[in-house]
Amino acid sequence: MNISGIEIEKVSDNLWEIPRTGGMLVPGRIYASEKMFKETLQNDEAIKQVINVAHLPGIQKYSLAMPDIHWGYGFPIGGVAATDINSGVISPGGVGYDINCGVRLAKTSLNYNSIKSRIQKLVENLFNDIPTGVGSSGAIKKLNSHEIKKILRDGSEWAITNGFGSEEDLILTEEKGKIKDADPDAVSNRAIERGMDQAGTLGSGNHFLEIDIVDEIYDEKAAAILGLFTDQIVIQIHTGSRGLGYQICDDYLKVLVQSGKKFGFNLPDKQLACAPINSEEGQNYLGAMRSAANFAWNNRQIIMHLAKKSFNRTLNISDSELNFSLIYDVCHNIAKIEEHIIDGKPKKVCVHRKGATRAFPANNNLIPDKYKSIGQPVLIPGDMGRYSFVSIGTEKAMEETFGSSCHGAGRVQSRHQALKAAKGKNLIDELTKKGIVIQAKGYKTIAEEMPHAYKDVSDVVDVMHNAGISTKVAKLKPIGVIKG
Amino acid sequence: MSYKFIEHPADIAVEVDGNSLEELFKSACYAWREAAMDLSSFNKESSKKFIFNGTTSEILLIELLSELNFQLYSKKWVFVTIQNLAVEKTDSDYHLEIELFGQTFHPEIHNMKEEIKAITYHQVKIERIGNLYKTLIVFDV
Repeated sequence: MNISGIEIEKVSDNLWEIPRTGGMLVPGRIYASEKMFKETLQNDEAIKQVINVAHLPGIQKYSLAMPDIHWGYGFPIGGVAATDINSGVISPGGVGYDINCGVRLAKTSLNYNSIKSRIQKLVENLFNDIPTGVGSSGAIKKLNSHEIKKILRDGSEWAITNGFGSEEDLILTEEKGKIKDADPDAVSNRAIERGMDQAGTLGSGNHFLEIDIVDEIYDEKAAAILGLFTDQIVIQIHTGSRGLGYQICDDYLKVLVQSGKKFGFNLPDKQLACAPINSEEGQNYLGAMRSAANFAWNNRQIIMHLAKKSFNRTLNISDSELNFSLIYDVCHNIAKIEEHIIDGKPKKVCVHRKGATRAFPANNNLIPDKYKSIGQPVLIPGDMGRYSFVSIGTEKAMEETFGSSCHGAGRVQSRHQALKAAKGKNLIDELTKKGIVIQAKGYKTIAEEMPHAYKDVSDVVDVMHNAGISTKVAKLKPIGVIKG
Repeated sequence: MSYKFIEHPADIAVEVDGNSLEELFKSACYAWREAAMDLSSFNKESSKKFIFNGTTSEILLIELLSELNFQLYSKKWVFVTIQNLAVEKTDSDYHLEIELFGQTFHPEIHNMKEEIKAITYHQVKIERIGNLYKTLIVFDV
């Protein structure tokens, strides 16, 4: 097939290859259905971005894209690229502005019937208890620089130490909520200042907290191990490192755009600004990025705790009746040093996942013991009107995608188009008729985030399932949403 | 001096122009503000001055807009008018001095429209076409 002059060869029903041409160091590979190419990828510049990423020095095997691929800055959203840690580069564009934007899924022992008459009140209280919205602040008192640096170093451990959860939560978080070798000294004062009043805040845009019911189970064995059952009430939290992370990305893009000449890189896109991993600039970015990742995990830990308290208070039930507990927390904007098999040998690489989720298989020593028999949970949120999914990682993901899978749905309409399409409609009514209670800072947010502004996430998840990269466990349906 | 918002798949894109670099930079500031804020109830309360340097005019522009972003989200301060803006090119770089009048942002009175995460480098290229300086700027939201 030819898309905008780019030859794309079919490898299998859900996998396509862009052969190496020009300055590409490796081929490109896109996981997508033929339908996706025809309907949404025809005019998306994201395919060119897959080609651009293939120019990165030290890139290994393929420049990859997951089926939620869409246009981003430098890397496409849904992009995955691994670079050799000795000869390769690290690129902030391969992580994104919202460092460690990610998803957390918590469960309860409640079912839909036990809360259906109180969903409205639950959503109202969650909205009041968890700071949401543009510039939101104030979940906890404004922290000073010293405390922020502790969070940057310790991640979720800070939240636990300060009474926002338990040690068990750390075990069930990617990297145990604290990625090692974070370097708070590599974080600018400006970034720290942006983070001071944002710990425990949801933010705005496509960030949300959702009350879901488990609508369908595909893998009974895995669902049982994850503690999921049909009709169960679960909670999803989607947010990241807020202004602190955005500022770190900004700071380092500026450094790397200007230092590009020094390293002699000739890259097709300025937003692919990068530095050798072993350079001072590369190590500083890595240390700062890890700090932002820790801030995000701490953020989701605090929000989860606040959500639990809202449930206790609104439903007037004890912890033992509620049984609110974490299933897992994943990041989908990060770069990590991992060991993968390349040309038959283990090799340390820097895996960039930008709008892509780690999806490690069963028996991997980096996933919690309780999930070793099934594989790592992969949490894939959809739009607020349809559904989200829980999948698990596989050995095939390790072989083909550096242990990575998709992360969500991706927009098909711009914010402006979505606002225009929403004119004359009462979106809150439409969602209410679907059984979804929503509370947001403004109607504009709801309009911009309306379901049909997004791809159908089930198409994305099915591609990964059919390709054997991450297999479906359960479908979640929203019944309550809070947005900024 | 003008700006026009254009379609973008995920973020906010704006074409800005001006009869001089100063006018272009002013357009960009007002465009940023319109994207971020509803300014109907702001007054000129205080003034702030900034100085920036950049190896290119594009870097200078992004520095300026990033500062406005920082002032809003961290200092809770937004500009109402641009009092003075001067751009100077030296042998090795560009230099900008700006004085702004503005006000503290109060969430109970003032409305923020979008949270602008960052001013991206995407397709920022200041070109002179005839008497007009122009560029595209994309704000990541």
